[in-house]
Amino acid sequence: MDLLLSPQLLFSALVLGSTYALVALGLNLVYGTMRLLNIAHGDLIMVGAYAAFWFFTLSGLSPIIGLPLIALICAGLGLILYFAIFRHQLENVHPVERIEANSLLLFFAVSVIVQNVVALSFSGSPRAYRHLDEVYHLLGVSMTANRIAALVVAVTLLSAVVLFLNRSHYGLSISALIQNKTAAKIVGINVSKIQILSFTIGFAIAGVAGALISMTEQISPFMGFPFTIVAFVVIILGGLGNIKGGIAAGLLLGFVEIYVVVLTSANFRSILIYGLFVGVLLLRPQGLFGKTRAS
Amino acid sequence: MKKIVSLFTLLVSAFGVFAAQAADPVRIGYSIANTGLFAQAAPSQVTAYELWAKQVNDAGGLDVAGERRPVELVWYDDESDPAKSAQIYEKLISDDNVDLLLAPWGTPHHLNVAGVVERHGFPMIGNTAASVAVREVQPGNIWFPTSAIPDRIGVELAAMAAKAGVTSVAIIANVLPFSQENLQFLVPALESVGIEVALNESYPPDISDMTGLLTQIKAANVDGVIALSYPADSFLYMGQSQEIGIDAPFQFLLVGPTISAFSQAFGELADGVVTLGHWSPHQANWSRAKPFFDAYVEAYDMKPDYLDTALAYMSCEILQQAVAKAGLDHDKLRSAISSSTFDTINGDVKFDGVENSITPTAFLQLQGGDMHLVWPENIATAAYKAR
Amino acid sequence: MTALNGILKDRVLLIFLTSLVLTVFVPDLFGSYWAIVALNLMMWVSLTQSWTLFSGMTGYISLGHVVFYGIGAYVVASTFKVLPLWVSIPLGGVVAGVLALLVAIPVLRVRGPYFVILTFGLAELVKYIVLNVETSIGKSSRLLFGAPTIETLLYIMIGLAVIATLMTKLVSQSRFGRGLSAIRDDEITAETVGVPVVKYKITAFTLSAVIPGMVGGVIALKSTYFEVLQVFNPVISFTVVTMAIIGGSGDVRGPFMGAAFLLLLSELFWATIPQIYMILVGLFLIVFVVFAPNGIAAILWPARSRDSQ
Repeated sequence: MDLLLSPQLLFSALVLGSTYALVALGLNLVYGTMRLLNIAHGDLIMVGAYAAFWFFTLSGLSPIIGLPLIALICAGLGLILYFAIFRHQLENVHPVERIEANSLLLFFAVSVIVQNVVALSFSGSPRAYRHLDEVYHLLGVSMTANRIAALVVAVTLLSAVVLFLNRSHYGLSISALIQNKTAAKIVGINVSKIQILSFTIGFAIAGVAGALISMTEQISPFMGFPFTIVAFVVIILGGLGNIKGGIAAGLLLGFVEIYVVVLTSANFRSILIYGLFVGVLLLRPQGLFGKTRAS
Repeated sequence: MKKIVSLFTLLVSAFGVFAAQAADPVRIGYSIANTGLFAQAAPSQVTAYELWAKQVNDAGGLDVAGERRPVELVWYDDESDPAKSAQIYEKLISDDNVDLLLAPWGTPHHLNVAGVVERHGFPMIGNTAASVAVREVQPGNIWFPTSAIPDRIGVELAAMAAKAGVTSVAIIANVLPFSQENLQFLVPALESVGIEVALNESYPPDISDMTGLLTQIKAANVDGVIALSYPADSFLYMGQSQEIGIDAPFQFLLVGPTISAFSQAFGELADGVVTLGHWSPHQANWSRAKPFFDAYVEAYDMKPDYLDTALAYMSCEILQQAVAKAGLDHDKLRSAISSSTFDTINGDVKFDGVENSITPTAFLQLQGGDMHLVWPENIATAAYKAR
Repeated sequence: MTALNGILKDRVLLIFLTSLVLTVFVPDLFGSYWAIVALNLMMWVSLTQSWTLFSGMTGYISLGHVVFYGIGAYVVASTFKVLPLWVSIPLGGVVAGVLALLVAIPVLRVRGPYFVILTFGLAELVKYIVLNVETSIGKSSRLLFGAPTIETLLYIMIGLAVIATLMTKLVSQSRFGRGLSAIRDDEITAETVGVPVVKYKITAFTLSAVIPGMVGGVIALKSTYFEVLQVFNPVISFTVVTMAIIGGSGDVRGPFMGAAFLLLLSELFWATIPQIYMILVGLFLIVFVVFAPNGIAAILWPARSRDSQ
């Protein structure tokens, strides 16, 4: 029982939960505004991780300092994909179910291409680097510097995005578009401009998440898929398109994962996570924090 | 139809004879997991093949019973699917008519391909298969130079831990096959040398945080930790055990520390970690070991995987020496491989049935950011040091 | 009789069926390598046809079809040398059907993308449950030495492909199938005009699970090796959905064209340019969706494709 109250577990749960929330945030933006099912999301995280790795390895640039640059790279990738592929779908394909189905396929293809291009360029071997790995002791918790940094960056970014969506002009337009596309159009929101914005922001956040993850895990061209899964579990739990719900669900998942292992056995970790996910959806088909759907 | 096909084949091969002239390349086929579940593990093997082929060609070609011929590698992506791998070997043998074969990556792939080479009577040296199941394979056309077989690993690891003065251990094991197979043999072996197993937990392959497990290990207050881990979770263990401050003097990780990325990430922080592996460039008695290591680092700008890359390269060396002696004829090649002793980067290798009867099951330890053989004593390159 | 008439009148379908049956000659004519290619083709045709039976007709996109395939493989692998194959392979289909029936009632309450991800999550859940069961009984992988030859397995798989195609055809031209299409077009309207929505959905979902259950069993035998992560690999689900969408229609033509097209395309690239074939396949998919967003069937048979706008 002492173990349960250990601040060490709390710290790990916060780090893991905020990472999950960040990993899912970009996906939620892209789905919420465009109904695109981005199953290449984890691969964008991988791209962010590789960018961080190469900046650090070639020039010693800390991923924390390089975050804007990494975000920019992924945002650029997003822009290219948007104009090359997805704008056409959004404008010309009907009904929305067909867009969803096609987006699944398109992102599947993007995922395959991105993985294999990275593998071809940098080989499939796992890579890693050493950065901020000194351990600090504070209030009975031991913390590795890179995990503290990941926590701080994630929390800052999550709060910034929430503020942006609630306060700024563009942010409010994104929120409006997520809630109701037709209404957003009627009140004069330039839908395609807002879609480009959410698409690139979504990609940029994925890149940042990847950079943070690269400090504590080994990276490889094929590391993305588990993150795609986590991101989908989180945004469904939180209610699709519900940004705050997604953040809450990410944190919840982090806590469940850490405390479940202690309470039961590590062996049941994945069963319980997916069990929770399936269970929640069956009881509340609109997600934990979702409102009743309006379609 | 069959007649037409065989007539066609005859014509093609007749042209082949005319075209052959002097240095017709020796075509060597294999499948690799370029995509899919094992895609990050496969480069450790393929880089060895490619380095070897380059070295052979730079040296004037492969010695085929006295005649020098260039080597040409023919490969296909098996998408990490063992069944696809078998299909590829079928194609390599019957469609592409390759002269020699190298092995695919991983135990399931080897076991699948074993059936194909058996059916065609085509000898192939395996490398990266490690399971007691390899002994169930029909001997004759496939050989396994590895000594990392779980039943022996269990016994040797228990013996090593006992010698290191370990009295109680915590075991955590991935649920994937290689870990579980090791677990099965390790627990009784530990008990028989009087080491108490204070904690024994398994965890799923997609675990993303080990804090809970590690806090329990810390609370168990053991002097040995044995993580039967795969590369990704070895990584997780190493990072998080630093954070939590697991200071057991004996710490073993199954698969992972031999990979270049591991030492890149942890450097001297991982010093003292013991892992599975029977090769090291520091063993001066193996004259080929250090030159191989240097050539690899020069070619790829990273260290070879001490386990998989070494095994893959060994299988090339064995094949090379057998072909020098017996040529390309399958029967002669088979008997050369079964009966000769080969000089490899891992010292002498000789096969008894499907298994390597010389190389002992061994363990490596990270010392000063470098890998040293510490067990068994007759091949050790450094003494074991408690962490 | 009307059902038989419908099949006999559909010339395209007859051509498909004939070509499926003709693949029995592949091993003799082209050797065992192409026999395996043919086996894979039959596998994808069966899986995509059965996926279409439910997801294509109702518009509920399932991203967890692999779960039925995996459970069937597990049944055959775990009863290998205990039950004869003529019992264990159909048993795999039955178990998959029962699993589908059990989960159908709660799962089918969920719609749209929630359904997509729920089916995916469910497949992962079952994967980890099976993995835990296997670990707890000390069987982390299983060798299936002594499985039937590739030729035998090919014949079984051809049979499954034919049955899957006929099943989808029969359903699509029946009252039941028209009900399913009505659900796709508008579930609420369908209900008000008297389509027994819940019953139809559950029946279709269950039917669509049986063939994959048997396919999984046959593929486990082909591999001669069973490992949980291999047979529950989510990429199998993705591939099935990809093939169905490329094929592009709610009847039997789409899945057939999609599976054959994608398989032959990747086979062609795979053998000639192994370094970059996956990249090429990916690029090709994108180009395809951009220029033919409604699939092959919509190009070949524009008037009949139900997905055209």
